[in-house]
Amino acid sequence: MASTSHHLRKSAAPFSQARRRALQWMVAGCGCAACGSINARLLDFDLSAVEIASKTWAVLGRTDYFDMSNGGNIVNVAFIEVPDGIVVIDTGPSKRYGDALRALIEKTVPGKPILRVYNTHHHPDHFLGNQSFDANVIAAPQQVIENITIDGNGFADNMYRILGDWMRGTLPIAPTVALSSESEQVGGRKFSLFYLSGHTSSDFVIRDDQTGVVFAGDLAFLYRAPTTPHAQIDAWRESLDTLAAIDKDLLLPGHGPSDPKDESLSQTRDYLDWLYGTLSDAVSRGLTMNEAMILPISPEFEGLGVVRTEFERSVVHLYPALEDALYPVIEISQ
Amino acid sequence: MLRTLVMFAALSLTATHVHARELPPDPLESVMWQSMADRFMPDGDIVFDDKVKIMAPLSAENQFHVPITVDATALDNVEKIIAVADLNPIPLVLTIRPQAALSYVGFRLKLQQTSPIHVGVKTSDGVWHVAGVIVDAAGGGCTAPAAAHGNSNWMKTLGQTRAYAGRETLSNARLTLRMRHPMDTGLAAGIPAFYMNELVIKDDDGQVLAEVDMYEPVSENPTLTLKPLVGSAESVLRVSTRDTEGNVFEFPLTVPSSAGL
Repeated sequence: MASTSHHLRKSAAPFSQARRRALQWMVAGCGCAACGSINARLLDFDLSAVEIASKTWAVLGRTDYFDMSNGGNIVNVAFIEVPDGIVVIDTGPSKRYGDALRALIEKTVPGKPILRVYNTHHHPDHFLGNQSFDANVIAAPQQVIENITIDGNGFADNMYRILGDWMRGTLPIAPTVALSSESEQVGGRKFSLFYLSGHTSSDFVIRDDQTGVVFAGDLAFLYRAPTTPHAQIDAWRESLDTLAAIDKDLLLPGHGPSDPKDESLSQTRDYLDWLYGTLSDAVSRGLTMNEAMILPISPEFEGLGVVRTEFERSVVHLYPALEDALYPVIEISQ
Repeated sequence: MLRTLVMFAALSLTATHVHARELPPDPLESVMWQSMADRFMPDGDIVFDDKVKIMAPLSAENQFHVPITVDATALDNVEKIIAVADLNPIPLVLTIRPQAALSYVGFRLKLQQTSPIHVGVKTSDGVWHVAGVIVDAAGGGCTAPAAAHGNSNWMKTLGQTRAYAGRETLSNARLTLRMRHPMDTGLAAGIPAFYMNELVIKDDDGQVLAEVDMYEPVSENPTLTLKPLVGSAESVLRVSTRDTEGNVFEFPLTVPSSAGL
């Protein structure tokens, strides 16, 4: 169902094909008892944990867009064993994912209590697994909590629309702990907390001061095109500067592999610069959104996951503000 | 009772006037195709035609602003272009009569749900040339209040217009107009229909170059791209728009000469 092409076309045949495939998946994933085992296999995330630093595991999603074949597993989450328990960063796109993450944590580090769950921002792939955790330990900046409260239901609706049965039982649960301190101690480990913005109106970054791992959320993408539905490009650039200046040993982007060299920061910045420049130029030539959507992708970014789809989405996100900024107001007479 | 009888009489009268027309099957198999054709393309033959090109996303990123660009420049003698979103509660989006303009238009529409979108282009021989696309969408584009209503003084900027007026070739301009208007459909609770419904572009001598009729599904802050014909010298175009409450907004646009091409 995720669109991958957007060309001048006279029929919607590609859409019909994608839709048909999606419907077939849904039929295959039907809830009847007779095919329960097939069902379980089809809708199983099969998550695995990669130890990216001492006692620090990343669960890496595909560098893709939500669809029935990935069940929404396109996001990175992480968990850390601290002296007295476990700290979790982001919870994935659904209850089903949250449950799978809980099971993976228990398998990897058996018998430890989960002391803290952080949500980096309010996008659905990062918090809709909250339901699988004790709400009393889920924490985020106040603005993230407000964003989840406002947009959570709408996000969940759309995820059900795209992912069907993968989402079964999922409800949007907002964090209950509002953070504003520069750091906090959790179970014998100090975490530095950074309150940034740009990818959304509130992007929360966490550094484990022991290991030097920075969990950057969606301020950083690597080998996967950045997404912009709530982006403020200038603020995002500033946040990338801040992230570059943070003392660290390793950075985990929201999407893409873990990054020891800040490559995700420069790649994200370069992409945003190109995106903003390309769309500014398109607007200043009076192009329609559709005409802008088929502009060539710079060769530098052709290899990024789902870049054409994300570019098309970004046209819709960024065009109206650029039109308001770049077209002069015409004096009207009434 | 009397009213019912009168209605019956009127209906049967209409029914006797409907003449049979060979309606080609819709490649998109829209359940509303017959109805769209009967209501919005009631006269003349209908053919599905590759010369009508529609640019549209496969999936609507924002159901309040779905961009559509129609290019029917491969057809000669175009009288009228219409766009309908079959499954919208109000299907008709807009009508354009490009008297002295290329048969080309960009606009944005609201989608209430995933829907086929049909574009009909009527040529002077009376034939409708039709093409369609399906756009996948989340629900509710037509029944939610306009974003303007989140701001108590939205009336102050009503009709505020931003524009790009450029030259594309020796003989035609490219205009992109963006006008502040809530474009209320009347389907959001407590908000009556209120939308910009008319836009006319004339040259400096008062000759009409293009007329656009807009309806409820056109997106808030309508943003239109049109290509009126102009001479090679610098040209002044006169644009006039009107909304359903009779507010009229008029402004000139200057298209540069072809010297800079």
